[in-house]
Amino acid sequence: MKIRSNELFRAARLVLGALVLACGLALAAEPQKTPPPAAASNPQGLDTRIQSLKQEAMELNRDLLVLEEELLFPASTQVAVFVSVDVGILFDLDSVQLKVDDSIVTNYLYTERETQALHRGGVQRLYVGNLKAGKHELVAVFTGKGPRWRDYRRGTTLTFDKSTDPKYIELQIRDETRGQQPEFRVKEW
Amino acid sequence: MAQAPHSKLGISAAALAFLGVLAAGGARADERHAVADPHFGEVLFYFFQEDYFSALTRLMTAQRFARVPHHAEEAELLRGGMLLSYGLHQEAGRIFQALIDAGAPPSVRDRAWFYLAKIRYQRGYVAEAEDAIGRVRGPLPGDLEDERLVLHAVLLLRSKQYPQAIAMLRQTSKRSGWAAYGHYNLGVALVLAGERDAGVELLDEIGRDRARGEELAALRDKANVALAYAFLQGGAPARAEPYLERVRLNGLVSNKALLGLGWAHAALNEYERALAPWMELTDRPAADTAVQESLLAVPFALGKLGAYRQALARYESALDAYTRESARLDEAIAAIRRGALVENILRDNPGEESGWFWRVRRLPDTPEGRYLTELLASHDFQEGLKNYRDLGFLSRNLKAWAQNIGVYRDMLATRRQGFAERLPRVVAGERALQVERLRAAHEREVKGLERIESEEDAGALAAEKERMLAVRLERVRAGLERLADPAQREAAREKHRLLRGLLTWDLSAQYSARLREEKKALQEADRLIAEAEARREALLREQAQVPARFDEFDKRIEALRNRIDQAQADVGAAARAQEDYLAELAAAELARRREQIATYITQARFAVAQIYDQAVRTSEKAP
Repeated sequence: MKIRSNELFRAARLVLGALVLACGLALAAEPQKTPPPAAASNPQGLDTRIQSLKQEAMELNRDLLVLEEELLFPASTQVAVFVSVDVGILFDLDSVQLKVDDSIVTNYLYTERETQALHRGGVQRLYVGNLKAGKHELVAVFTGKGPRWRDYRRGTTLTFDKSTDPKYIELQIRDETRGQQPEFRVKEW
Repeated sequence: MAQAPHSKLGISAAALAFLGVLAAGGARADERHAVADPHFGEVLFYFFQEDYFSALTRLMTAQRFARVPHHAEEAELLRGGMLLSYGLHQEAGRIFQALIDAGAPPSVRDRAWFYLAKIRYQRGYVAEAEDAIGRVRGPLPGDLEDERLVLHAVLLLRSKQYPQAIAMLRQTSKRSGWAAYGHYNLGVALVLAGERDAGVELLDEIGRDRARGEELAALRDKANVALAYAFLQGGAPARAEPYLERVRLNGLVSNKALLGLGWAHAALNEYERALAPWMELTDRPAADTAVQESLLAVPFALGKLGAYRQALARYESALDAYTRESARLDEAIAAIRRGALVENILRDNPGEESGWFWRVRRLPDTPEGRYLTELLASHDFQEGLKNYRDLGFLSRNLKAWAQNIGVYRDMLATRRQGFAERLPRVVAGERALQVERLRAAHEREVKGLERIESEEDAGALAAEKERMLAVRLERVRAGLERLADPAQREAAREKHRLLRGLLTWDLSAQYSARLREEKKALQEADRLIAEAEARREALLREQAQVPARFDEFDKRIEALRNRIDQAQADVGAAARAQEDYLAELAAAELARRREQIATYITQARFAVAQIYDQAVRTSEKAP
């Protein structure tokens, strides 16, 4: 008994041919095809609609953030405190406590992602609040790991004048390479 | 699970684009970024945490408040890059064009031209993309340069400039992920374009690469499978075999490799050898197309080897398997149409924020999920899912704002009420100060001092003690006249005159200093009264302006609340439409698979019939 295998083989080759084509196309990475992105095959207008919704939502977020700031922290009373890290090899930041005029205004515990972002040059807005014009005192206490992985706690103080313009203060953590110690500075913008 | 090269490019394109945006000059992208405006630093703080939506909205807010003057161009470049990765091509294009038109420095201009080239290419404007990429003068910073080379190579490939495209790719950094994916894409494209030798050379390099990590190992497997199938299709099965033997046994394309290996042997009439990979396949999960095909291939090989009884049994069991699979596909299609497919996928692929580099890597462990591997590798489905996920993020974002805006409205109402209640008290307090009376008194004092000065009336500036002394002396002088003894009276008069003279002397001596002090005191009083007057003026202004400011805030809050409501409704509708579309794509994919199985069933039945037919004929011929 012998089956007529040629037809089946031909059919199989057809399947194989389709598979080769599918394989080639499926394996081809994006830039190799003319890529009409989602817009081309999504239901008509849906992709365009979603793009304009995203745009609208972003503009709405911006307008809401502007409103929030003008409502909650008017320029005449606004004080913002930023934290930055320069190099930061000698100090691994865990947390910051911030006092303004002897009141604790924030206790902030950092995540790994946040400290990484600081190390790469990001600047965190740690606190934003309102203060009357005049003299004020700010005390920041940093805790973390210092040289040789020892627990490290250091404070820094600034007395500053608040005018009717917004006040920006930056707490800078830097490496003091000569003394092999971290250094904590305050910069008034 | 390794992802398709396709998806890798999707991720890397955006990620590297962002890093490139931040790299200044020739610096490496991952070096620390110097910040001259704290608010730009704040944008970077979110950006480096990959919270791109927050980074973008905060950047736009900082720009609205003009808080990034030292990073104006860089901020625009960053905004354009983020918008591009968010799919907002038009706005991104406008930003890059505006940077070029404004005569940005060469490093910014080069990056802007590159992004424009990318946008134009993605939207299908190939000639315009070539024009833009040709305008990039110097090397781009960091990994962005490799991305530029790959894009340029792709554009050259499209205009059939193969040697130039290959030369361009050869310049990519060996360390860069772009190099491997760029070579792979170009290799596949060259083979498909008929430039087989050049394509084979490129793919062979990847196929022999000692791949680092799962992702590159998966790419190596794919390159080998692509090469092998190219040779199978080209009628050179012997050349296909070594490539297929390089493929890992349990990778993403291992089933395709096993199937191909079987066909390579079969094409060389080595059916016994073909059975080994095909039999291995038949034990694997039946949802895979290569496994399904192997159910037909095994009896085919058995037939070739003359084992008809076994072939028949295998065809029968294949028919059972296909029937079961077809029923499962029907169930899966019904499940997709009932909904929840998209939610299941998202639940199994969590991620933060509106992750623009997010891609689905795991399929849900549901009946329908098993069939969607190929669909998942498609750009369309991934983009659709990303859109759906972005809409989910926007929905949560808008919901939070809807709550906040309600709080702000209440807060404003409380402030308005507080202002209305406190104002009368403050006004009354201000009245209590009687600033006008003080001003009038001050003016009287000034005039009095002018008289004293013009008349040099030192007595008017006498201290209390001196005034008392003057009164006593006056009283003494009146008493003197009543003394009976003239000599005694005269002596007393002399003494009185002396004392009076002394007092006058003292007053005269201190007159200038006292006058100065008086003037100074009046000036200080004038300053304090002026301050009180200014405060009263401010209060009156506030009285007039604050209600207007409250009204303005009210209007803004109301307008924003309406925008939030509208956006929430639009996002909800778009999400539903997107979900329906994705379900349709998935259902269509499953229907295609069902049709494929129907074809297999037909082929299996045909083969079974052939075997029976052959058997009958054989028995008829038998004596």
